This record gives sequence, C-alpha cells and structure tokens, in this order.
Amino acid sequence: MRTLVFIPAWNEEASVATVIAGVREALPGDDVLVVDDGSVDSTAERAREAGAIVAVLPFNQGLGAALQTGYLYALRNGYDFCAHLDADGQHPPPEVARLLEEVRADRADLVIGSRYREPEPDATDDYRPTFSRRVGTSVFRFFLTLATRQRFTDTTSGMRAANRRAMSLFSENYSPDFAEIESLQLAVREGLRVEELPVRMLERVGGSSFLTPLRSAFFIFKGLIVLLVGQFRPRSVEVER
Amino acid sequence: MSTLLAAATEPTVHLTSQTRILAAAIAIAFMAMILELIRRNQLQERYSVVWFVAGVGMLVGAAFPGLLGVVADAMGVRDTNVALFSIVLLLLLGLALNFSVIMSRQAAQITRLAQERALEKAREQAAAGNGAAESRPQAPPPSSSSSR
Repeated sequence: MRTLVFIPAWNEEASVATVIAGVREALPGDDVLVVDDGSVDSTAERAREAGAIVAVLPFNQGLGAALQTGYLYALRNGYDFCAHLDADGQHPPPEVARLLEEVRADRADLVIGSRYREPEPDATDDYRPTFSRRVGTSVFRFFLTLATRQRFTDTTSGMRAANRRAMSLFSENYSPDFAEIESLQLAVREGLRVEELPVRMLERVGGSSFLTPLRSAFFIFKGLIVLLVGQFRPRSVEVER
Repeated sequence: MSTLLAAATEPTVHLTSQTRILAAAIAIAFMAMILELIRRNQLQERYSVVWFVAGVGMLVGAAFPGLLGVVADAMGVRDTNVALFSIVLLLLLGLALNFSVIMSRQAAQITRLAQERALEKAREQAAAGNGAAESRPQAPPPSSSSSR
C-alpha cells in the first residue's frame, strides 16, 4: 500500500522545507510531492533539497489546478492513498497521519481536517480566525450544508486525505477557481463518503494570508455562484470504485 | 399631431445614396481586411466566419435599405435606427460571450498542458531517484495495476 503526501506551494520558500521535514518525520514510509504553482522564489529548490519530488507548474494556475496536479500524480503512479496539506506550516504533519488512518481503515473516501471543534465550532484553543474569515466560514458552512445535507464546519480546509475513488474524481473534475468548496459538494454528490475530523492547526510559519475584506467578499460571492451552479451540474460518469 | 403620427408610421428608411455607398465601401473594406488577416496567419479561418457574416450583413443592409424597415416592423419598433442599433448590440453581446467561452476552454487546455509538463518532470525526478530518500522502488509505470 503506497501513500503520497503532496503539498501545493506558491512562493513558500520560507516554510516549505520545514513542512517537508515534518511530513517525513510523521509519515516516514510515504512519498512526498511538492506541487510548485509557478513560484518566483526558490520554493522548488528548497523542496528538492529537503528530499521531495517536485512538480513545477510553469506559471501560477491557482490552488485548484495545483491540487489537481497532485491528485493526477497519485492516480497515475498507482498510489493507493494520498493526502495534502498547506505549505505555510499551518497544518501539523502528525494530524495528516490521523486523516490517512481514516481512509486506510476504509471508513471514508475523503477525510477533511477541520480546524474547528464541536460543539463550539468557532472557538478553539490554538486558532483565532480573523473577522473576514469568520464571516466567510459561516456563509460557506451554511450553504454547503444546505447543498450537501451533510454538516461541514471547515469548508475551506486544505488538509485532506483521499483514497483512489476520490483521487480519480478529483483528477478529472476540479474547479481551478474554487477548489475546496466545490470539491466537497462534488464528492458528496458523487456518493463518496466524506468525513470531517477535528485537527489541531498552527499559526503560519511564513508568508501572509491572502484574505483582505474586499477579497473575502469577492471570494464569498464567487463561492456562492460555484455552489449554486454545482447543484445543477450534470453528474459525471461513475467514478472508479 | 397628425403629421407626427403620419411621419412615425411611414415605413421609409432615411438613408441617402451617399450613406449607402459609404456603408457598402466600409463593408467591402472590412471583408478585405479579414481576408488579409487570414492570409497573414493572424486570424484563424474558424474565427473568421462570424466576421464575414457581419460584413455580408452590412453589405446587404447597404444594398437593400428597405429590408431594415421590414425587420423593424417585424420587431414592432417604429424607428428603424433603434432596430438597427438593437440588433447590432445584441450580436456584439453574443459575440463577446462567445469569446469568453472560447477563452475559458483555452484556459482549461493551458492548465492541463502545464499539469502534464509538471507531472512528466516530476516523474523523471522520481525515476532518477533523487527525490524520496527511501530505498523503495519509485514510480511504477503509469498504468500500474498495483492499485487495489
């Protein structure tokens, strides 16, 4: 049983090596792939030095395309499971190992690491979201729950684990614009077992969040369109079981 | 009042022969420009059809201005100018949308192309063995049957 852990990275030279080292320590038997989404800094070099395989997109394509590249690599190279986490150091690798346990035990096809914890989903010990993020999170949580009739707390989480069924679905259908939310909607619609697991998340090691209030508003608007359209999208062919 | 009504219902089109000649000349020049762009490989044939249709439409409009009146009548528009502008505006809107659709398709193609290249390079690196430090054999053939 082979597992691939991939890390989408865009200009994350400050943190990518630390994240790779963490993954190799927490998941010693697994292969590590960094998808460099057209970085202009030395992300790819740092990643290679740290011992990861690097897939370099020649120009910035957006998170969705970067994630899809990772899923494609896992699918085509015969990996049984894959997981991904952010390159900025917010996602502790041992938590990724916990997500992978869920798909390895075949309890789910796709497992999402949630930074929020029931029953008080907005307050955690380690993580304090900004106002923009709190608003966006609640809006998406509401509409995604409405669309999928399944409760999700962390709709935009970039820490996930998947089996081959989810891999093959995401390597063909992944919106470059709105990866996280649409993929959840899609997975539920296609009958995948999607599970959310509360995880510990940390403050960023390097870089800064791209969320300003204006961008958040645009982000939310775009997300709602994606969700609305997604409800009326025709189902794709039956994915690999 | 009665003269105004009479003028409004009158189906004549206010095009002098001078404007008709000018319109025809522009239409012909336009189509010549499209041909020249195709000849210089700056425009692909499949995207030129719609512009040719536009040029022919202009020419027909210049040759038979009465047609415009008929079209305006069919639309229920009293002023032929309004009819003309509405039609042109709608056509341009449709054309712009068409371009957005083409652009989206090409963006998706470019993305997939970039992904394929990245994957190939990554596979090369994995095969060369300077990636993961494990001694386990790396990257079986793409159509691996090891997936269970």
